[in-house]
Amino acid sequence: MIFRAVEDGDLVRQAARGGVEAYNLLVSRWEKRVYNYLLRITGNREDALDLTQDVFLKAYQNLRKLEDHGRFAPWLYRIAHNEAYSMFRKRRPESDVEEVEPEATETGINVGGSSVFPIELSLAVASALGRLSAEQREAVVLKIYQGFKFEEMAEILGCPVSTVKSRLYTALELLKAELAPVTARGVS
Amino acid sequence: MSCSPSDLRDYLFNELADSDRRNLELHIKTCPACREELDRLRLTQAAMFSLREEEIPQRIAFVSDPVFEPSGWRRAWTVFWGSPARLGFASAAMLSGAILLSALTRPAATLATAKFPPAPASIQTTATVPEAEIERRIQAAVDKAVTASEERETANVRQLVGELQQSRQQLRLAAAELDMSQRRADYVRYVSSNYGPPPQSAAGEQK
Repeated sequence: MIFRAVEDGDLVRQAARGGVEAYNLLVSRWEKRVYNYLLRITGNREDALDLTQDVFLKAYQNLRKLEDHGRFAPWLYRIAHNEAYSMFRKRRPESDVEEVEPEATETGINVGGSSVFPIELSLAVASALGRLSAEQREAVVLKIYQGFKFEEMAEILGCPVSTVKSRLYTALELLKAELAPVTARGVS
Repeated sequence: MSCSPSDLRDYLFNELADSDRRNLELHIKTCPACREELDRLRLTQAAMFSLREEEIPQRIAFVSDPVFEPSGWRRAWTVFWGSPARLGFASAAMLSGAILLSALTRPAATLATAKFPPAPASIQTTATVPEAEIERRIQAAVDKAVTASEERETANVRQLVGELQQSRQQLRLAAAELDMSQRRADYVRYVSSNYGPPPQSAAGEQK
């Protein structure tokens, strides 16, 4: 008998045949990460939760259209990205999505209770993230917090890899300018 | 290897190929500027991780309810029509069928009926003309046609008679010529049997 970990592709295959339990297992694997991704780009917990539910419902309805079952994660995040930007456009149809600022600093994205980092540092990070443009912030979230490769990010965001790198590196320079001195003081 | 900020960032995000990664690590050991830049990037990344992920306030779960589940037939239908190729083929087949049906069911005489006046008008016209007049006209047309035909026949006969007379005359001339040649041959035979061969000059004249 051979044991191996059940991968997303296996669960997607079963869920596509109508296996609700398999899909629930997929949801439990990804709901926290998708929620935090949406929380970072919307800056609002209620919106993030509503969007997360919509994302998983839409993913279930369209699961049979996913040809490469191994690429479930980028496909799921693509849906999440589209849902978030659809919400931005509905709320502010006349303004550019680029101008939508998350309320991360106001709502105060929590620092974990057992965090080893000082509270000032977390606040500084939240503030620095809030000063980035929406596209730069999303690139940072997908790379640093969600750990996607550049090609996967391009698939999620629907743009070339060069654009993804440009957004990320510009954001990184801004973050470095704000956080590196703060980090130096906080750590020392 | 030269100093390259983008290589340092790719190195930080683990997006460099193995060979490039090894080259960069060797370069960092000998380049204080790059080492310092990489340290700042690492500090920035570490600071970013000070923001922890939050727990989702409400877990998401789907329940299997037969009322809301699409039936097997409906699922198969959706899967079948989800393919663009199948959809295109079905559209082409429907279009072909429509063209064929239109060609088979189109009435053929519609156009002719619309263009030409209906027949009853001419029937009414003939009904107003007396029978005798019709007979007279028919007879006149028949007579005219017969006369023309007879004239043509007469002309043909005359032409044939002329040709026959001409042929007869030619035959008569040919018979006379033949008779003359026969007589000349008899005369030559008679002379040569009584008086020997004819003189050379006479032979030359005959030629």
